[in-house]
Amino acid sequence: MRWLRFAIGLLIALTLHSVFDSFFPNALAFFNPYVILIVYYSMGGNVFGAIFAGVIAGLVQDAYSGPFFGLHAFSLTVCAYTVASINSRLVLRGTLAFGACLVGAVIVNEMVIYVLVNILLKQKIEMFEQGMIVKTLFTGLFGMLVYQLLTLFLREEPIEATRRPSGW
Amino acid sequence: MAVTADVIPRRPTLLLIVVLGLLFVLMSLSSRTRVGETRTMFERTVMTLFSPVPKAVNWIGRNTADMYHGYLDMRRAVNENLELHRKVGQLTTENIQLRQSEGDLSRVRSLLAYSEQFSIPTAMAQAIMLDTSSRFKSMVLDRGSNAGIEVNDAVVNANGLIGRVVLTTKDMAKVQIVTDGNSAVGVLIERSRRQGVLRGDGAGGAQLYDISSNADVVEGDVVLTAGIDGIYPKGIPVAIVTKVEKGADLFKNIGTKPTVDFGSIEEVIVLHTRKVPGEVARYVP
Repeated sequence: MRWLRFAIGLLIALTLHSVFDSFFPNALAFFNPYVILIVYYSMGGNVFGAIFAGVIAGLVQDAYSGPFFGLHAFSLTVCAYTVASINSRLVLRGTLAFGACLVGAVIVNEMVIYVLVNILLKQKIEMFEQGMIVKTLFTGLFGMLVYQLLTLFLREEPIEATRRPSGW
Repeated sequence: MAVTADVIPRRPTLLLIVVLGLLFVLMSLSSRTRVGETRTMFERTVMTLFSPVPKAVNWIGRNTADMYHGYLDMRRAVNENLELHRKVGQLTTENIQLRQSEGDLSRVRSLLAYSEQFSIPTAMAQAIMLDTSSRFKSMVLDRGSNAGIEVNDAVVNANGLIGRVVLTTKDMAKVQIVTDGNSAVGVLIERSRRQGVLRGDGAGGAQLYDISSNADVVEGDVVLTAGIDGIYPKGIPVAIVTKVEKGADLFKNIGTKPTVDFGSIEEVIVLHTRKVPGEVARYVP
């Protein structure tokens, strides 16, 4: 059931990605639907599931955007692992907690991308700080709205916590 | 393998490191191949696997845009159609008015040309009422004594004699038309110059009286005013002979049809004929 939900979420994220790519090309500079999906999934605290979810979602994002294949998979996997690890130890529930995780995840995601692009392409991303702030703000707000709606309509916590022991 | 399966669940960090290492290798390969604008097989596989989503989005977007533009075009076409309908109505009205003006102009021109034949003063008037259905066949003109119209003035149009004025007000005149039962006009046959009296039969036609049975009259003869009654000038067409029969006494029964179509009279000419003074008319030697 969790994976089915993830698959549906991935299709929705890809649809949003395609819609923005086709009709609002600049929108993806402000908003990353894959991070929302990954944080939503990783809030369950299943670190292994989160790693695989991050890889799959990242590879799908990489297939249609990014300077090279695997960049987003790498950054999203790091985000997913971090969020899942935190949630395996702490009970973080509610829109605000989700928003805080999301904001952190977006920042980590952007910074990982920045570092990787720097290492692999020997390039610096222009206006990185401004871009990160805007993306964090919009993705955070949109993600909290989506989380609130899902909580309202599904009447349950997004992903049930599994509380598996981690290897920290 | 048993060791791996046992270790990995307990060591997610290890799994993360392995995965990230693999992804880094993948990125490095991809980074090199991107220079030549080629893609790795793995990337192609992922793209192919998820390609229906962007394709569907693109298809829906394109069709939605087409529908939206189609709707806009349709709205524009509907507005254009309404505008064209309005213009067609306007042009049709304009066309009718122009045709009417053209007809009016043509009639007035022919009437003016006709009125120039007369050496006596004339006035042009418009028929505003026409009553040919009752026993008294009459017509009302839109001009009266202010225009110089007097009782017993002859009224004609380009086709011939219409009648005479029997009543005037300042701005109107009533005309007795020749088909009225009480109308009598002194006439002559154009071809044989035989004189007679044309009386209206009250039914849209007129009878020619006082033509002797040996007179030369045939169907189709044109009947003109004789100018002997002191009202109508000489030589105005009045009627066409339609029937000639031998009468019971010394005269023929002659039926005629007026040259004027009373159903289509619009403009007329009023002839201010020279009236015979009353004392002359009444004088008995």
